[in-house]
Amino acid sequence: MASPSKLRIAIVGAGIVGVSTAFFLARAGVGVRLLEAHAPAAAATGAADGAVSVASKRPGAMMNAALAGIALYRELAAQGVLDGGFVSRSTFLVAVGAAEAAVLDGHAEALASAGVEVVRHPTSALARLAPALSPEAEGAIEVRGEGHAIGYDVVRRLIRAAELTVERGVTVRNLVQSSDGGLVGLDTDRGRIEADAVVIAAGGGSAELLGLDGVLRPRRGQLLVTERAPALNAALPGAIMSARYLLSKASAKGAPVSPRGYGLVIDPLRTGQFLVGGTRENDATRPIADVEAIGHVLADAVAMVPGLAKLRLLRAFAGLRTAVVDGLPLIGRAPGGDGVFVATGFEGDGICLGPVMGRTIADALLGRPATLDLSPFDPGRFLAGRVAA
Amino acid sequence: MNRAPVLVVGGGPAGLAAAARLADAGRAVDLVELRPALGGAYHRRPIPGVAPWPIGRAGEARWTRLAAGIERPEIRVRLRTGFLGVDGAGFTLLDDRTTGRVETMRPAAIVIATGAVEMVRPRSGWELPGVTTAGGLQVMMKETGRIPEGRILLAGSGPLLVALAGQMVAAGRPPAAIVETGDPFAHPIAGLGLLAHPGPLLEAAGHMARIFAARVPWRRATTLEAIEPTDAGLAVTLVDRRGARERIVVDRVALHDGIRSNDHGFPEASPTASALPFVAWAGDCREVLGVAAAEIDGARIGEEIAARLAGAPIATTSAIRRLAAARQAQDVLARVFAPARPPTPIERLPRETILCRCEGRTVGDLVDLLEGADAPGGREIKLSGRFSMGACQGRFCAHWVAEAAAGLRPDAPPPTPHDLTGRRWPSRPVSIAALVASNSSPDEPTRPT
Ligand SMILES: Cc1cc2nc3c(=O)[nH]c(=O)nc-3n(C[C@H](O)[C@H](O)[C@H](O)COP(=O)(O)OP(=O)(O)OC[C@H]3O[C@@H](n4cnc5c(N)ncnc54)[C@H](O)[C@@H]3O)c2cc1C
Repeated sequence: MASPSKLRIAIVGAGIVGVSTAFFLARAGVGVRLLEAHAPAAAATGAADGAVSVASKRPGAMMNAALAGIALYRELAAQGVLDGGFVSRSTFLVAVGAAEAAVLDGHAEALASAGVEVVRHPTSALARLAPALSPEAEGAIEVRGEGHAIGYDVVRRLIRAAELTVERGVTVRNLVQSSDGGLVGLDTDRGRIEADAVVIAAGGGSAELLGLDGVLRPRRGQLLVTERAPALNAALPGAIMSARYLLSKASAKGAPVSPRGYGLVIDPLRTGQFLVGGTRENDATRPIADVEAIGHVLADAVAMVPGLAKLRLLRAFAGLRTAVVDGLPLIGRAPGGDGVFVATGFEGDGICLGPVMGRTIADALLGRPATLDLSPFDPGRFLAGRVAA
Repeated sequence: MNRAPVLVVGGGPAGLAAAARLADAGRAVDLVELRPALGGAYHRRPIPGVAPWPIGRAGEARWTRLAAGIERPEIRVRLRTGFLGVDGAGFTLLDDRTTGRVETMRPAAIVIATGAVEMVRPRSGWELPGVTTAGGLQVMMKETGRIPEGRILLAGSGPLLVALAGQMVAAGRPPAAIVETGDPFAHPIAGLGLLAHPGPLLEAAGHMARIFAARVPWRRATTLEAIEPTDAGLAVTLVDRRGARERIVVDRVALHDGIRSNDHGFPEASPTASALPFVAWAGDCREVLGVAAAEIDGARIGEEIAARLAGAPIATTSAIRRLAAARQAQDVLARVFAPARPPTPIERLPRETILCRCEGRTVGDLVDLLEGADAPGGREIKLSGRFSMGACQGRFCAHWVAEAAAGLRPDAPPPTPHDLTGRRWPSRPVSIAALVASNSSPDEPTRPT
């Protein structure tokens, strides 16, 4: 390929991954065209919880990537790029009942073995530590050194900081390649765009562009936001995650999980509001919340933090996570298609991973050495020879 | 045929008339009203123990007719019950504030008849305690029979200010003054158009006679620019037609800049009868045409829904012609009350002027958000700017934010108020306890993964 600054680079999708990629390229002095069917953060990025967290993870490639993701958030915050958009705080995994307490114990050990700072709080300490918690809570582990960032907020700040412009309302229909497989450009609903390199960061829209079938699945999540309640908010020291969430994520293999994939995270926001989630529903394709799921999540939330019952719900919403059938994202160069890069399939981790994956893809485009081992995420495992117009 | 009840949302003239016609056609109707009393804005009934506010003979006759129309077994009236929208599973959600539960139903059709909301243009100090809307004040008078203590200034534009002032005079508590942005007497030709609509004209004449007799100052072609709190009360700055400023001090200010459809957050009207539930809009929430037209429109929509549900042809009635006449009357009124001087564009108001009262977001916040190379669209303005994100969910500010954003970024497609408010449930904040109480479905069976 030509030298990076001469490349005509197009990015498909202005979610957190596409925008982060554009941001790091712009920082290196390389301009891009950022093509977006709707608007920045229109899909998963604008409907996410925003945990920048490893609390629910097991050691492995995703844990390593998430730790790098958290470190980059801290770096960007320190540089003033995120300007308050990243809130540093602990996650508290809270157990109710002996079975959950047991799961927590094993989980704490696993986290600690990966070098994560974990503090165990016995039942007797909870009343002082988190007065808003139900007396039913039986111990908690505190996962330190993580935080929270709201997807649309990060996207807006990155666009601002790098003075990016997003081409809104441009839907990319397919890649255009020459007979030898080199990228020539993109066909869009507004006509053809010439490009030497493309980054497909189109979330759920990526499958079609890549000609992938049965590899990406939508996994719906439903969330809600309450009105402000500063006193109750202050009575929680950080995000509260039910230990049952670990079961819902099926990190503990073989555990029973409801088809809705109910889990519980209660996030006290800086505004004094609470963000509460949620579900992990397979193959639900409409990102619309329903009262049965929201009522169920709220019942769980009130059991965990009884004071929530006195508040009003302001908004309920749903988003579609793009999950890969083997549970790992697709990141890197697409095989067979020179100049085609993929970064999608982040399921429930894309807020945490978006910036670091954007930087990694930008590094690859710039011909810089990789700072993160992408081999577990190689799109080649599904894509071998597939990318062809 | 789907025998589920039709849900009528709103207990004003449009909702009541629609319910009556649906019942005429043998349909079961659930009529829900958020307030503790029926009547809507115009016919708002008092709380128990308070005598109804006098509204004139024609008005009384209309109310008697509407109230009689819903006294029938097919119609179940549910007060203190709000419509929250339709959820992702297709359930229609009701917030029953008497039982404290959110209920789900699957109506055959939904008639949205939620009336109008008042517009109040943002200006410096409009968020202060002691500043209300004129319509809010009027509703309070109708419900409680009471007028708050102190000197009350009515300011803004439109016939409602005159009506409210007339009612206050009749109750022995004339307002301190009426400040009217328009100059109604400067449009004699346009005003003549009103002669074709003698009902409203007579009503207005009655109010005017009372206002003049009580010597209430009526400052025309004058704009209330700013309100400041002082020890002596609220100091308001008025700007007259020549741009001269004057300060007066009062205890309360009631603002009103006209009304617009209360179409906030609700599902769109269905284009065809095949979509279920079938959604139709009636009355001021569809088009602001006033109380008499709302009754006509409600009856029309009630008949139309009944016919659609029965698979019968939709009869043509005189309603369309009568609605056209009401539209013409509204056009004349709009011309008569047109502002004498163009109002300051929202985006050019002082930076610290509050735009979104719930979240305390200002004109300056919006200007800053819209600076730079990339122009955010409506939903981005909402999310990143936190405009229309508070408890009112944009009901009061989305309009102005969209207007100001369009003014600030003529290079970008103008956002619509709906881009900011969205159309999803809950259309209003709802008690979490009520949602939990609604969750009666047994735990789902679990399965191993
Ligand atoms: C309910 C929920 C909770 C979540 N919670 C968390 C959390 O706590 N922590 C965390 O780290 N992550 C969380 N996530 C996951 C995170 O939101 C996603 O992983 C991340 O936003 C994915 O970003 P993206 O840029 O890959 O995709 P998206 O945000 O989906 O962006 C893709 C963009 O591409 C555009 N597009 C698609 N097709 C085309 C096309 N053909 N042409 C042009 N444009 C196109 C879309 O309009 C969209 O804007 C959550 C997700 C959900 C739904």
